Amino acid sequence: MVNFITSRYSRQGLWSLFLICAFPLHLWTLILSFRDVSWLMERTNAWDAIGVISYGLVFALIESVVIFLVLILLGLITPGQWETDRRISFLAFLVLITSVWAMISQLLFVWNVSLPEPAIEYLRHSAHPLRIMYATCLLVITPTVLLPAYSFLRTQKAVTVMQDLIERLSLLSMFYLVFDLFGVIIIIVRNF
Amino acid sequence: MSPRLNRRDFLKLASSLPLGFVIPPLAKAFHPLQPLQGNKKNVLVIVFDAWSAYHLPIYGYPRNTTPNISRLAERAIVYHNHYAGGNFTTPGTASLLTGTLPWTHRAFQSYDSVTQAFVNQNMFQAFKNHYRVAYSHNPLANVLLRQFSGHLNGYVPMSELMLTTDGLLEVLFENDEDIANVAWTRTAKKQEEGLEGHSYSLFLSELYQWYQEKKVAAFKPFFPRGVPNIEGENFFLLENAIDWLQEQVNQFPRPFMGYFHFMPPHSPYNTHRDFYGSFNNDGFKAPSKPQDIFSDGNPDKELRRRRVSYDEFILYLDREFARLFNYLESSGMLDDTWIVLTSDHGELFERGVRGHTPPLLYQPVVRIPLMIFEPGRTSRRDVYASTSAADVLPTLLHVTGETPPAWTEGTLLPPFSATEPQPDRLIYSLNAKNNDPAAPLTRATAMILSGSYKLQYFFGYKELGEGVERIELYDIESDPEELNDLYAKQKDTGADLLHQLKEKLKEVNQPYS
Repeated sequence: MVNFITSRYSRQGLWSLFLICAFPLHLWTLILSFRDVSWLMERTNAWDAIGVISYGLVFALIESVVIFLVLILLGLITPGQWETDRRISFLAFLVLITSVWAMISQLLFVWNVSLPEPAIEYLRHSAHPLRIMYATCLLVITPTVLLPAYSFLRTQKAVTVMQDLIERLSLLSMFYLVFDLFGVIIIIVRNF
Repeated sequence: MSPRLNRRDFLKLASSLPLGFVIPPLAKAFHPLQPLQGNKKNVLVIVFDAWSAYHLPIYGYPRNTTPNISRLAERAIVYHNHYAGGNFTTPGTASLLTGTLPWTHRAFQSYDSVTQAFVNQNMFQAFKNHYRVAYSHNPLANVLLRQFSGHLNGYVPMSELMLTTDGLLEVLFENDEDIANVAWTRTAKKQEEGLEGHSYSLFLSELYQWYQEKKVAAFKPFFPRGVPNIEGENFFLLENAIDWLQEQVNQFPRPFMGYFHFMPPHSPYNTHRDFYGSFNNDGFKAPSKPQDIFSDGNPDKELRRRRVSYDEFILYLDREFARLFNYLESSGMLDDTWIVLTSDHGELFERGVRGHTPPLLYQPVVRIPLMIFEPGRTSRRDVYASTSAADVLPTLLHVTGETPPAWTEGTLLPPFSATEPQPDRLIYSLNAKNNDPAAPLTRATAMILSGSYKLQYFFGYKELGEGVERIELYDIESDPEELNDLYAKQKDTGADLLHQLKEKLKEVNQPYS
């Protein structure tokens, strides 16, 4: 199994992929946890607010590892003739686009955006409102995944663009990992 | 190979089948009880969270929400004007457990603990000659139980009686569980109140939700509004809690003092299917009241719908309490056990408010049930004098032969006091959710009650305007629905009560000024 994985990935590629997994998850955690700081400080104190952010970051790190492992397994079913860079770029793209959609779905609640009244009325009177909603989401999301994925199969340009993006985002992710380290230290201090 | 049964043998065996149903409960009922040490009786305090006295037929509610408890109350002392220390779990429970008012124990905000002094001045410390055990479904009450756990022989973790739990957090982050829990809730739970639909996590929260729903899927058919839960997670069944208590209560060393705090009828009001629809279209319509400035703006129609769900949830706790009571009776434990049935605070379905979040101290949210089942009592006794949650602790100590400590602010409940209750005794309740517990009270709602007059005093709220106070006076005897504010009409009564309340506030603020 190890040999099979090393034949598909380089060590540098795996590290880049992990950093890309960590990027959206940490970014989202930081944005939302900073939104909570004021009420946390109001109800408790600054040290507890820092504690909540620290736990949040560590949970994000664990989530990043889980997503990273899932992606590695997913990468094993990509075509064998793909070179490592193409595989990493493709997987990085998958995690980023999925994260963007996950963020959008949560932002709808953060910004209190709801469906227009006629759409709600339509759903209310339909026999299968949930099915309709899922089908609509699928119709919107599928092309945003399939079209770029297709471009990875056809052109080298998509791979190059993705590699550039990975390089830039990796640097930011490294900062987040430093924050994680502080988070772990804070949690240890709080628990002992 | 065993020979096959013939028809006669089968019928013989079948005739003994009913014994199979009878013997286990009987065996349970005759399970040898732990011997009582000395003459001290056991004490069992059962708290149902957010249970308003307004919604009980024995206090005049038109819906029969408690057919079993009403029947059992014929053998109890029933307190008709009993008041919680505050209008939500933290101050209400802390008052019950410390026998003091919120401005003394200082547990003002959600998840607050009491001040350091009460770590060693509480119900569990006071019953030091009893085996002490406690459990709470409610995480806010659980904060207090953990704080008092040094005086508990048995602290039962919240996760013990939950279908799904985050019990691992308690193990991993034992010394920082509160904050670890807040972070975990923010990370993995999308349904938490005030945070609906988003969380710190992009994917983990989806997986967590799926996992939780899968674990309780088998119970869904029994609960048409959803399996009972706490803020969308931590699913539980009251039946499980009562079964567990029945099993445990026999094994506690005696005398014991047990405090058990169960979630129903706290929201979400997910009743059992046996009670679903019990009050639909029954013609009952609570009086319409004007929207309050602190309300969430719920329309009357929505409040009526929620009230029905709440009332149906009370039917569920009524059945389960009766099941526990019957078990205690059949096992003989009632003969040497004091049972206290009460709540930590009430619930509102009026003035645009659903629940107990706003800083309002109207009757349905502060007047709570209190029934005391005295060992050997066979008749009902009604007490109409005003009483406070702070009175329960000194009373229980008194009736079990202990001396009530000087630090409690409560007095002995009638009829256990040697003197007649004073008709003009002052009763207080407080909401100071937005006030720093370590600072003087500058933003709060305080209630003072004397005889039939009740005054609500709101101060420090920016919603009222800079420096503006709101004062309301009601005669709750002639106007139990608190519809006619008398403050402008009965100036002397209002001024007198306000003066007494302000003097009290001045006194309790002194140590923090």
